[in-house]
Amino acid sequence: MNAGRGIVWSWALFLPLAVFLLLMMSSAQVYAEVPNAVPPKGDHKGEDVPQPIEFPHDIHAKINEINCMYCHTYARRSKVAGIPPTSKCMGCHSVIATDKPRIQKLTEYWEKREPPPWNKVHDVPDYVHFTHEKHLKRFVFDNEELPVERVSEVCAFCHGEVKNMTVAHKVKPLTMGFCVRCHEANKGPSDCWKCHK
Amino acid sequence: MSLKNILENWSNYRRDREAGGHHEYEHMWGMAIDLNKCIGCNACAVACYAENNLAIVGKEKMTKKQGMHWMRIERYWGEPDLDKLSQSSSQYQEHGANFLPMMCQQCNAATCEPVCPVAATFHTPDGLNAQVYNRCIGSRYCSNNCPYRLRYFNFYSYYESSWPAPLHLQLNPDLSVRDKGVMEKCTFCIQRIRVAKDKARMEDRVEKEAAVIKVGDSTFRAAAGRGKLEDMEFQTACQQTCPTGAIVFGDMLNPESQVRKLWDGHQVSLGKTKQTKQNPEKRGYRVFEALNTDPCVMYMERVREV
Repeated sequence: MNAGRGIVWSWALFLPLAVFLLLMMSSAQVYAEVPNAVPPKGDHKGEDVPQPIEFPHDIHAKINEINCMYCHTYARRSKVAGIPPTSKCMGCHSVIATDKPRIQKLTEYWEKREPPPWNKVHDVPDYVHFTHEKHLKRFVFDNEELPVERVSEVCAFCHGEVKNMTVAHKVKPLTMGFCVRCHEANKGPSDCWKCHK
Repeated sequence: MSLKNILENWSNYRRDREAGGHHEYEHMWGMAIDLNKCIGCNACAVACYAENNLAIVGKEKMTKKQGMHWMRIERYWGEPDLDKLSQSSSQYQEHGANFLPMMCQQCNAATCEPVCPVAATFHTPDGLNAQVYNRCIGSRYCSNNCPYRLRYFNFYSYYESSWPAPLHLQLNPDLSVRDKGVMEKCTFCIQRIRVAKDKARMEDRVEKEAAVIKVGDSTFRAAAGRGKLEDMEFQTACQQTCPTGAIVFGDMLNPESQVRKLWDGHQVSLGKTKQTKQNPEKRGYRVFEALNTDPCVMYMERVREV
């Protein structure tokens, strides 16, 4: 009787443990997939940054599978990734989903000829000069095993899984230790003047 | 440069100077300034103020030697000819002053580097003497150890007074604006170097193999994967502005570069405390060479008719 109860209890303990371990492994596999790259480690709970329109990244990047670089075009050719101009939004949204309140608000800005006053989420100090184009070249365009369609997995190194968010949150610390550990793992440059000047 | 790195690559650190020392270089930026051409117009100094976000401290602090001019024109008067002075009404000598543009000499054996308590100043693979502002704690030890007096300390926060409201828009975004308590100096326009090097990398202009390059008496080990830049692909702000073209800037490791040809032509070489010249009429010299700082700036003496 007692032994039987013991078996039941051990099973009751084992099941959630097994589920937990499986979840851990599956979440780790999301990062392990990017070839020729060691993703940076570290998490951070950023504060909510209020935006003029609650832009749904999930609808664009996850459901409709739009490439990050379709809107953030400057990432592959300049230091900054850039916010798309309102004309790029209106390119689709003069036709698509015009009855939604968020789109109507966007159209108001468009008719006023004003850009929506977006707030910056991923901000580094002024003495840090991060370059998007070189990181994209290293991890995406020079990386023959990674098709450009999967660029969002590389963006997720520093920006987190933005396609599961509406407006972007800061989920990575973006501190110097975070950068340097990744540079050491991926054999990036270690000269101070690469980033600080 | 972590301790682990030093222990793992110990044999590199034991390498003799003749074999290139322990540094691996990508470039070796150097400069040549022809004093025959310099007219002392101060355009280079103004260009440096505009390019590098230098603070304007005002007349009062300038007289206390707290000016932040990374590039300065030093003015020297020769021996006065007393006979001629008594005849003319001017108190200055007849042919005017001698000018010497003075900026950080980017020494290869810099005196400022070993004394920094926090390693905010160090040698980069470009052969430059770097200053990292966010690491600097303002001990001013480097400035006291510099024989050229080329390091400038921010005694105050000059941001508000230097660039009042609309003027802050002229600040160069490629460079940080320094606050008080930080040492700063000439960087050979690192932001322009960085743009040119990044461009070369983006266009895949990369030297694939490592090399050992001799510049005069010095040997440099050039790293594999260094960018392949053309001579005069970019210019420093002072060089770009100089109306007489007195300043020449370039890569000393590139045997085709203009600056290298000037150094070789004037029989001046890196890694010496005293130049041995076959032709003593060659005008090239380096400032305070005997101190063994091994500076990367060569001056060409001014020649006058007496």
